[in-house]
Amino acid sequence: MKIALKEAFETAALTLGSAVLFAGFFHFNGWLFASLSYAESINWVFLPAGFRIVLVLILGLPGATGIMLGTWYLDQGSLDSQPWLVLLTGVVSGFTPFAVMKVLAKGQQTARLLQGITTQSLLNFTLIFAAASAVTHQLLWLVMERADVNIWVDVWPMFIGDAIGSLLMLYAFKLLLSQMKIKAL
Amino acid sequence: MEKTNSPFASAYMRFLQLAKVIQALPSGMEMDANESALLQAVVLRWYENKPMTVREAIGLADLGSPATLHKRITRLRGKDMLSTLNLEGDRRAKFLIPTERTLDYFSHLGQSMQQAHQSQAA
Repeated sequence: MKIALKEAFETAALTLGSAVLFAGFFHFNGWLFASLSYAESINWVFLPAGFRIVLVLILGLPGATGIMLGTWYLDQGSLDSQPWLVLLTGVVSGFTPFAVMKVLAKGQQTARLLQGITTQSLLNFTLIFAAASAVTHQLLWLVMERADVNIWVDVWPMFIGDAIGSLLMLYAFKLLLSQMKIKAL
Repeated sequence: MEKTNSPFASAYMRFLQLAKVIQALPSGMEMDANESALLQAVVLRWYENKPMTVREAIGLADLGSPATLHKRITRLRGKDMLSTLNLEGDRRAKFLIPTERTLDYFSHLGQSMQQAHQSQAA
């Protein structure tokens, strides 16, 4: 019982931590790359996409749930007018990378997937994550009839923004790790 | 198979796994085997207090043709692994010397060799 409680507490802490990181970086990205904004919720450089990859690969389900909560928090202003759109955008934001990871893992556990991952496959993951995220967001917004959606045009900046943001984040982590002098295992 | 039930511990283990891959991401500064062989030849001569001139380096026939070696030297200079030095009194001879980055690289190789030796002895 005690162990189950401890596990539940740790899972909740990881989920909330993910939500705070995702929402925090969303605001940071908006401030840093305000001039590169293409449309509402679409930026030519979208750093939180990198967190989607890292959080889902490291934390799995709590990471995806945290991203969903973070997205709900960010979209809370539209909750009264379009509750279903907000709800489903959060689900797509958090669970698209999780679903892609599960498909690519082919039923393996995440730890086993990470054990066999190479730099090439991580870069492939990044591009697939970015493409899947852009397509699912745009499809959802098209189906839910969000204002000013042009899927054939908007999907490209979103894909490019997610891919560039993810690569920037991964290389920022690389720089950070080299500064921290954590040697490769 | 999960070895631990603690979500914190699992997350940290996966972080280490991912960190290992992220650290190995290509940075565009890696050397191929041919560049590495040329660098070793140049640095060895510098270590023996007989630094190699560019002319000598492009004449290392066992490592490639002069044109290929010249390109390789340019790439190594671009990667900040080689620098050139003109001695006073002789502006014509351009000597190749290692950079700070090269010395760090060889220091890292030396440490790795020592670690491998220690782990074999243990």
